Amino acid sequence: MSGSSDREARKEERLRTEEAAEAQRRQQRIKLASAIAFLAVAAVAILIVVSQNQSSGGDSGNLQAVAEVEEELQGIPQDGMVLGQPGAEVAALEFADLQCPVCKAYSEQVLPQIVETQVRTGEAKLDFRAYTIIDADSVPAAAAAIAAGEQGKGWNFVEIFYRNQGLERSGYVTDDFLTAVAEAAGVPNLEKWDRTRKSKAVLAEVEDSTKEAQDLGFTGTPSFAVEGPGTNGLEAIGTPNSAGALEASIAAATK
Amino acid sequence: MRGVATFLATFGIGVATYIAIADSGGGSPVCVAGGHGCQTVAESSYSHLLGVNIAIFGIGGYVILLGAALLRGDAARMVGFAVALVGFGYSLYLTYLELFTIDAICQWCVASAILMTLLFAANTTRMLAYVGTER
Repeated sequence: MSGSSDREARKEERLRTEEAAEAQRRQQRIKLASAIAFLAVAAVAILIVVSQNQSSGGDSGNLQAVAEVEEELQGIPQDGMVLGQPGAEVAALEFADLQCPVCKAYSEQVLPQIVETQVRTGEAKLDFRAYTIIDADSVPAAAAAIAAGEQGKGWNFVEIFYRNQGLERSGYVTDDFLTAVAEAAGVPNLEKWDRTRKSKAVLAEVEDSTKEAQDLGFTGTPSFAVEGPGTNGLEAIGTPNSAGALEASIAAATK
Repeated sequence: MRGVATFLATFGIGVATYIAIADSGGGSPVCVAGGHGCQTVAESSYSHLLGVNIAIFGIGGYVILLGAALLRGDAARMVGFAVALVGFGYSLYLTYLELFTIDAICQWCVASAILMTLLFAANTTRMLAYVGTER
């Protein structure tokens, strides 16, 4: 009897020890899981910060690529929002929204080639037309560009704006930002620019070109239309998918 | 619970792959007028992280979640929980962006967010209820 109860007691003791060890292991795993949860939350926070900062332009105190834009446009005549020789045979109209990230990509990756090969050579002129589609902030941005154009710096304004574009709809298009861009673009008379950009005539111009884009059937930006000896009036060409494709459309309009 | 997670992760791989293919083969990118739908979301600057389409990260996440669901043991449970939590958190952020910043809703992104939420629930249950077991 005594041997049997000893065995029982040892078995119970062993079970208790195993249970205690198991409980300890579970505690450790829960602690580890809590640490993992903390790290996972931290990882999400880092991802969000990276996402917010990846194109965190819109910083009026720290405008980028001002000299680069100046160099790109150096020596090319500007009249209003038209870039190029007044007598160029082909006019390429670009309907764009300054807040549109695809327009920014186009201005950095596609247009420089066109400017060098067809605008600088006098074959074509580029005409920036506002097509405000992103949100209400697109209107004052476009008006500010047109006002800069009235002082011969429209394309400098547009290009510097794109190089410093913030995340769309993030509210970065403030008076301070627009003024900083105008100043960096070399607008000679900032007071006049400020009056012009708020004028009814300029705001009406933005509205008119947006309507013109819609009438041409464009549903997105940037969209292009070309007019030259080889076209039947103004021809909508939509959004060519490369510099080469836009170049070819402009070349076709010369013949 | 592993069966549920396996099913959800497989479904998630399908949805994320569809988004990645649709985004890469959509012709010329444009910013769309009107402000709604998948194209607006895909053409916004939020659709890429460090130059890589978010959907690619999604596929990677779902593949890891599938692997974690197929394997037994605590290590798989914890990896599944960690990845599901990251996926759930980032999906919440992306849905917030769609609703309040981009002002456009893409049904495929919403489908992925729902799957990630369910995977988070499944992986959390699997970890808390079965920790220390071989299930």
